[in-house]
Amino acid sequence: MTDAAKSAAAMPAAAKPDAPRKSSALVPRVIAGIVILALWELIVRTMAPSYVAKPSTVLLAFPRVIVDPVFLKAFGETLLSVAQGLAIALAFGTVIGMLMGRSQIMEKAIRHYVNGFYAVPMIVALPLFSLWFGYTGATRTATVVFASIFAIIINAADGARSVPREYLEVARSFRSNSWRIFPEIILPSSMPYLLAGFRLAAGRALIGAVVAEFFISVGGIGHYILYNSRAYRHDDAFVGVLLLAAFGVGFEVLVGWITRRYMPWYRRDEAAV
Amino acid sequence: MQSTALRSRLPFFISLAAGIALWEIAGRSTSQAFMVPFSETVMRLIQLAGTANFWQQLAESATLFGTGFALSLIVGVPAGVLLARMPALRVGVEPYIMILYATPMVALIPFILSIMGFGFAPKVLVVFLFGVFSVLYNTVEGARSIKPELIEVARSFRSGEWALWREVMLPYTLPYVMTGVRQAIGRCLVGMVAAEFFLSSTGLGQLIMGASQNFDTGGVFASILIIGLIGVGLMRIGLMIEQHFARWRQ
Repeated sequence: MTDAAKSAAAMPAAAKPDAPRKSSALVPRVIAGIVILALWELIVRTMAPSYVAKPSTVLLAFPRVIVDPVFLKAFGETLLSVAQGLAIALAFGTVIGMLMGRSQIMEKAIRHYVNGFYAVPMIVALPLFSLWFGYTGATRTATVVFASIFAIIINAADGARSVPREYLEVARSFRSNSWRIFPEIILPSSMPYLLAGFRLAAGRALIGAVVAEFFISVGGIGHYILYNSRAYRHDDAFVGVLLLAAFGVGFEVLVGWITRRYMPWYRRDEAAV
Repeated sequence: MQSTALRSRLPFFISLAAGIALWEIAGRSTSQAFMVPFSETVMRLIQLAGTANFWQQLAESATLFGTGFALSLIVGVPAGVLLARMPALRVGVEPYIMILYATPMVALIPFILSIMGFGFAPKVLVVFLFGVFSVLYNTVEGARSIKPELIEVARSFRSGEWALWREVMLPYTLPYVMTGVRQAIGRCLVGMVAAEFFLSSTGLGQLIMGASQNFDTGGVFASILIIGLIGVGLMRIGLMIEQHFARWRQ
């Protein structure tokens, strides 16, 4: 009750100074956007060959490409693969990370491996995966998992470690057992960390999928971009980049929104590595 | 003193030994084309290190990484700092920096390839693009963390531009810049390998590609191990730099 009242009272107060700032930011942002696009257009027009993508031609290509079934199929394929890989990484990564955060032995046993693999540029694994899984979609999924799982593990471990001790003590004194403590206390209380990890992992997963599609020709948006840019249809290919960027930004915005909406007490200081 | 240091390191060595043992067993019990045991990977590594070709490739990769990374600092830091001092401009370009920071830069490689072709310059451009937005994004983030009151107070005490920089701007933005530098180290390394894979094949990337095309699994493992170790080492350095400057962050 008091909490709800407090947050309700805080809401308009927090929103008020924000509201005028937003509208005053809009004008410089639009101007900057126009200047950037104009510069891009000008530079390409004067210095680059005509096939190079520029705002005006990309804009013309956009409505055609966005309804092109080939493009849509490629994009759907990549997204499906990213979703599959992320689901696998999320399932295993969360469990492994939570175990690491709550158990000294697990922590000591695998911490260095997790940190080590996280630091390795993921694309070096591509040739190996293509040896293992062949030139199939499985290689792409494996790359997505490899690219994303370590970010999830690290953040899940940080989250599990950050659970306030009082919560656990209260749960124990009410004779709650580990099977209930995990889903009812540890998981919800490390949610902000899990979300931060997910945000990081999603970006890496997208990169992993695109790189895999460059490497092995299995279709997907990466292959679409590669194929069309080789055929000097840069405008078409660039629409693919735009959509990828939109997804990259979309993940950021979505996770930021979820955090603010459902975990307003969690300040946006980066938990992610 | 030394024995406690050793004891605190003990779990690390145990886990390292267990990992190596696991690798060895897995390598010996599967097909040679699938996985190579640790001992053989190390042998292969020593064999590689004995060739002049290997050192040449390593130097090529290092040059590529160094040039791209240096450029992303040379461009990213001054641009970020400039934006820190010009709030109007910063507010305007902030969302675009964020978008570019979140865009998977690998997607631009095919364009760079078809416009600039093969050679050193396009590869440097790839490494640069991978790194520069980390630096820029974090520097701007740091600039945003400066409370306007601090600048106002400095101004009302008639501090000049130089004093303002030294006392307010730098201490506040530098830790963020260093976070950007650490991220850029990691991203530039990915950019380096990506450039070596997809543009003209040189350096360590070529080492892996060549081995994989010859179905030389031992070579693939050896070169992945090298890049992995370089990655871990560089990450360490990055973290050390970041932590060194993070001391005054609170």
